[in-house]
Amino acid sequence: MVQVVFSPKWFWGKDIFIDSIALLVLLSIAIFATKYYRIKKSKNYLYLALSFYLIALSFFSKILINFTIYYQVLHTQMIGSIEYTQVILKSSEILSASGLFFYRLFTLLGLFMLYSIYKKQSKANIILMIYFIIISIFFSKEEYYIFYLTCFIFLGVISNRYYQNYKKNRENTSGMLAASFSVITLSQIFFMFVNFTKHFYVVAEIIQLLGYILLLVTFIMVLKHGRQKDKSRHH
Amino acid sequence: MEGKRTRVDIIEDMLSSIISKGGRIKPTHLMYKSNMSHGQMKIYLDDLVQKELVKKVKDGHYDYVIMTDKGHEFLQKLKQMREFEKAFGL
Repeated sequence: MVQVVFSPKWFWGKDIFIDSIALLVLLSIAIFATKYYRIKKSKNYLYLALSFYLIALSFFSKILINFTIYYQVLHTQMIGSIEYTQVILKSSEILSASGLFFYRLFTLLGLFMLYSIYKKQSKANIILMIYFIIISIFFSKEEYYIFYLTCFIFLGVISNRYYQNYKKNRENTSGMLAASFSVITLSQIFFMFVNFTKHFYVVAEIIQLLGYILLLVTFIMVLKHGRQKDKSRHH
Repeated sequence: MEGKRTRVDIIEDMLSSIISKGGRIKPTHLMYKSNMSHGQMKIYLDDLVQKELVKKVKDGHYDYVIMTDKGHEFLQKLKQMREFEKAFGL
């Protein structure tokens, strides 16, 4: 049976709230990147927007899975019929398994696309990577930590790229971006070990929330900084 | 060395040049400040006027180019885009 629920019961709902914040942050950045793409027609903006949309979509799938499971388990517990509970759980298991597949697929494709902005890929490389992503998702069905390990590697490489960018331009926003991605990378380590104790899931979610809050602050700083520079031109 | 300026770079230079002169500039000054040829400047200026980012006005014997509110908003968007590019290393 595919493991779908990693959260301790007392944390149910709270993780949905945390993931919703991540979803909103990712969507905001994706929408702005799309606007900038329309102005500049640069492919980098298009790929950045697409990668953030993909990761946002993955969070949406995760929220949907968790919401369905939590609601159905709680709902059937209230009704109290064993037979009804089994039927509902079976149907929700199919939904959750397919939802989980899309959650993992969208996350890894989004991260790979984000990575590819900075390291241009040949067509052969893209095909190979998609193959490895699918293989990794396939094995994650049995060993869930493989997915988080893959995320950790992708995020680590992307964080390092942002850190190199910060070292080059010494801009606060670049440093904040590197920090936010590093925090999100760190959260993957805790996700990897949720089978030891479900409390790791809580820790991972909280660290991830911190990462996305940092990302939001970075994004607000970018927008404000642009505005300040424009104002300074008036005087 | 900086690469060739894109269309957006040129528009940003033009709008920034107008702002640096207090929002009002003579077309010849705009041409020099934005590093453009006469022909290039005419094409871009007509485009900016058509998009209502700037206005052409006459004051006495001189022609001036004035930045509109839409132009200010667009320039702000471009500055934000530059910050975004810097932050993400695009």
